Amino acid sequence: MAGFADLNLPQGLDKKSLQSLLEAAAHLGYSAVALNHVVDFKEKKQEIVKPVSPSELFPSLPIVQGTSKRIKVLTRLTLIVSDPSHCNLLRSTSANIRLYDIIAVFPKTEKLFHIACTTLDVDLVCINVTEKLPFYFRRPPVNMAIDRGIYFELLYTHAIKDSTMRRYTISNAISLMQICKGKNIVISSAAERPLELRGPYDVANLGLLFGLSESEAKAAVSTNCRATMLHGETRKSACGVVYTVKKPRKVEEEEATLPACKKAKTQA
Amino acid sequence: MVRFKNRYVLCEVVSEDPRCRQCIEERAVGLAVRDAIGRVHGDYGLACCSISFTVKYLNAYTGTVLLRCRKDSYRLLCSALPFVRQLESRAQRYPCFLNTLHIGGTIRTCQKFLIQYNRRQLLMLLQNCTNEEERQCIQKSLLSCSITEEQSHSGDEEDDDGTETD
Repeated sequence: MAGFADLNLPQGLDKKSLQSLLEAAAHLGYSAVALNHVVDFKEKKQEIVKPVSPSELFPSLPIVQGTSKRIKVLTRLTLIVSDPSHCNLLRSTSANIRLYDIIAVFPKTEKLFHIACTTLDVDLVCINVTEKLPFYFRRPPVNMAIDRGIYFELLYTHAIKDSTMRRYTISNAISLMQICKGKNIVISSAAERPLELRGPYDVANLGLLFGLSESEAKAAVSTNCRATMLHGETRKSACGVVYTVKKPRKVEEEEATLPACKKAKTQA
Repeated sequence: MVRFKNRYVLCEVVSEDPRCRQCIEERAVGLAVRDAIGRVHGDYGLACCSISFTVKYLNAYTGTVLLRCRKDSYRLLCSALPFVRQLESRAQRYPCFLNTLHIGGTIRTCQKFLIQYNRRQLLMLLQNCTNEEERQCIQKSLLSCSITEEQSHSGDEEDDDGTETD
């Protein structure tokens, strides 16, 4: 089974709190997390900086509870777009964007949601949970996104903090479920402190509240996250993901042993 | 066969403040969970879940809590557990959260899971040990954890070095 992953940990914090966040995530059982760098286009002249490499920030990564591997840290970029001209940044071959592992977009209008689902080259589309959605979802762009392998992301930390946000989260999530039938959903936290994180089974139970079935909710935390990470990898490399490893062959051994068919004949 | 089927939910209380451990008691945890269910599912959810709701077992050193509820309403309980934000007792509140470890149909299955889980925790503590004395203590506890036949409490078999690094 795919390991659990939490794809949204905000990055604008100091090193020590990030380290405690990572340790809490590893203790709860997450195999992979993504550090999120949010870029808002309302302010002018935003430059996309190079992603901070996780190996520089954290000299030693904590071990995931229940396995013996270290937690994997990815980099992620979220673009908050409210105007179609902002999307040009994604189309331009800017070197810095290519360096991020996962790219997400946060559309604010109906037209941008349509563009994000159909043409933009992203991995995740974030769904607003802090206010009532200004537009209704329609079936065609959502189905196109599902075909392209784009996932919809829901945040849960706001629901835990505040009761009005809880209502918005649940209503937006359920309206999305009615259109997409529970496919291609990723649930993640936007936890700024270790106390706001929840374990993967708890997050899957939250998915039940959002209208997912039990298997879909569990997939939302594990398989769909892994699919998003792979989607990001395929976007970084050319077309697909094929790893070739050159294995050194020992030439002397081959000449000494007889080929298998000859061996069988001489023995039989 | 006619019998009431229950679900036992094993959770762990995780908190940053070490003083929170003193605050873990049955009444406080029960109240916090009921309050969370009431906030999320309203009066109907609270009424459904509290039919056979108790805190069956509590270990303040490790922060382990075993809750019981009816099989029909365990989904309401489990979906409300992430919303527990603080524990209150004796006019002090500590922020914390509950991490669900295991859901079982009987106390015995939860106990077996808890023993395996604690063994893994002890192994991880062993890795981070600095002192030779602590190391020997932990090794002794690791070798001695198992289910014994005569038992008065559930889950009380292994020695727990609760004073170690948390």
